[in-house]
Amino acid sequence: MIYYAIEVMAPLLLAGLGGLFAELAGVLNIALEGMMLAGAFAAIVTASLTGSILAGMLGGLLAGLLLAYLFYFVGIRMRANIFIVGLAINLLAAGTIPFLSSAMFGTKGVLRLPNVPRMPGLFVGVETGFPLLDQILFGHSFGVYLTVPAVLLAGFVLRRTAFGLRLRSTGKNPETLRAVGLNPDRYRRAALLISGMGAGLAGSLLALRLGVYLPNVSAGRGWIALVTIYLGYKRPVGVLIAALCFALAEGVSVAAQGVLQIPGTLLLSLPYILTVVAMIVYSAMRRVAPSDA
Amino acid sequence: MVRTRIRRTQISLLYGALIVLLSTLLLGCAPAEDAAIDRPYSVAVFVPGVVEGSPTYEMLVEGVRRAVDESGNATVRIVEGGFNQAEWAGGITSLAATGSYDLIVSSNPSLPEIVNEVSQSFPEQHFLVLDGYWEGNPRLRTVMFNQREQAYLNGYFAGLVTTGGMPDSNDALRIGLLAGQEYPMMNQVIRPAFLEGAQAVNTDIELDFRVLGNWFDAGRAADLANSMLDRGVDVILSIAGGGNQGVIATARDRNAYVLWFDSSGFHHGPGVVIGSSLVKLDQAAYERTLEAIEGSLEFGVGEVLGVADGYVRFDDQDPNYIEYVPEDVRARHADLMQRLMDEPMEFAIPGAN
Repeated sequence: MIYYAIEVMAPLLLAGLGGLFAELAGVLNIALEGMMLAGAFAAIVTASLTGSILAGMLGGLLAGLLLAYLFYFVGIRMRANIFIVGLAINLLAAGTIPFLSSAMFGTKGVLRLPNVPRMPGLFVGVETGFPLLDQILFGHSFGVYLTVPAVLLAGFVLRRTAFGLRLRSTGKNPETLRAVGLNPDRYRRAALLISGMGAGLAGSLLALRLGVYLPNVSAGRGWIALVTIYLGYKRPVGVLIAALCFALAEGVSVAAQGVLQIPGTLLLSLPYILTVVAMIVYSAMRRVAPSDA
Repeated sequence: MVRTRIRRTQISLLYGALIVLLSTLLLGCAPAEDAAIDRPYSVAVFVPGVVEGSPTYEMLVEGVRRAVDESGNATVRIVEGGFNQAEWAGGITSLAATGSYDLIVSSNPSLPEIVNEVSQSFPEQHFLVLDGYWEGNPRLRTVMFNQREQAYLNGYFAGLVTTGGMPDSNDALRIGLLAGQEYPMMNQVIRPAFLEGAQAVNTDIELDFRVLGNWFDAGRAADLANSMLDRGVDVILSIAGGGNQGVIATARDRNAYVLWFDSSGFHHGPGVVIGSSLVKLDQAAYERTLEAIEGSLEFGVGEVLGVADGYVRFDDQDPNYIEYVPEDVRARHADLMQRLMDEPMEFAIPGAN
């Protein structure tokens, strides 16, 4: 169960970390879902054209980047309402991908293309003698191993670099930035582009794991990634813990169906019940001890 | 002189009016069939979803189109109703309200009830609903497929696989069924009949039943399939829409097998998808629509079609089936088909009116 929970966690974490940059820069990126979807589609097409998993992931990353730039251009540069722009991008992705898929490959449904390689597992068969540790560390798909460096990198950039400091200042007090001659919009743009890359990469992991693209493959994970930002107190390690908790709840609901005599439909609501409970706890804790989160 | 000219004109007008009146009367007295021949029979297909990517609805549209083309005096319009079930009644009502269609055709287990409601407001409108069951509405004809037989065919094949019929079968006597969602037909017919079929091979076989919660989350479907395989399942019947792709991906990675439902699924994963039960929805749509166009379709009837009628099949002609499934397994399954042809299974339709 732990093994699968970590597989489930990886895309949530990448999208959540990306969204964290945007959130800290003062822009709530509610288009993560659409960016994941675009990333998934682009990843399968690119992987099919090149025969390379890495190229597929790069294709997914660029698709997310493209939509993120559109978000920046309309929402920040043209000063449109951020929520409307985010919703529009989600709708744009959901509507445009079937059109492109139909025009390019003749199907709006399941897109199974030739030459898409299988996502390789790393450290398969390695054993330490501790089964739990083995499940956590070894045999995961290639993309999962990107997530740990991503958390460390996000923490380092946000806390230890001038760029991270200015980005956080953009969210908290953009006037300070302007006072020292810096343009907050540049940091908002950078943050949005990072969030687009994270969501696009997350989408590519989802699709490349399956080897196909299918409509709604992101299945609401972009929205859950958004929740992990708040549950994680807007810190990279917090996002990691929140994504892991959600993935574990998902893993429990999947595994319990085979063991417990409880209707599967009821067990499947467990991650969402957990999310609601966690949000209530988060809200209560913020009231008790207000912080910068 | 002038008066004579006026009188001639009046007489000409009188003759003209008489000719028009006689022509109208003569045309009006023409036989009813002749009038019907002049106006093409009009069919609307209401698709509760979208056609592309759905084998069921592709079969529906293909069958109706074939009937319309063959009749030579009918037209068809396809209307996609989208995935929001709450909007289907509105879609059907809109079509009926136009009064332009002699027959509205659709396919979905939930539609007979909706259509029955709509038809109360449009008593002249005729409906044909496939994959659903309703009796007693004089304007509604339904065609249901014997899904007990269909699930039994899959179950028997799964039983043959898990008892060692395939190279990668394991020692555990456990088969899997993944459903997109729980609904009466799944819980009361498909699930028990699938296990019943498997236990006809070996009574010790157990069923691991899981629910995806929707019809599209292939990622979660992959996780559910992994969890089933961890517990000793080696063959999974997947009835989970887009989620089926997740089951295939997992089965491919872990050398397990997948069974398909309603349409031929071998091309989705040659060597992984090793069995497909079929319903001949296209054939039923074609035949019943043609009967409606010809005026011989009986309404008010709920029809159930099964293996003996030739509408529920197991795809034993696909090259992948012949290539990947050992001959003795195919032979034993062919024997079962023959038995069902000779002795059809009783089918209690959940919630039948």
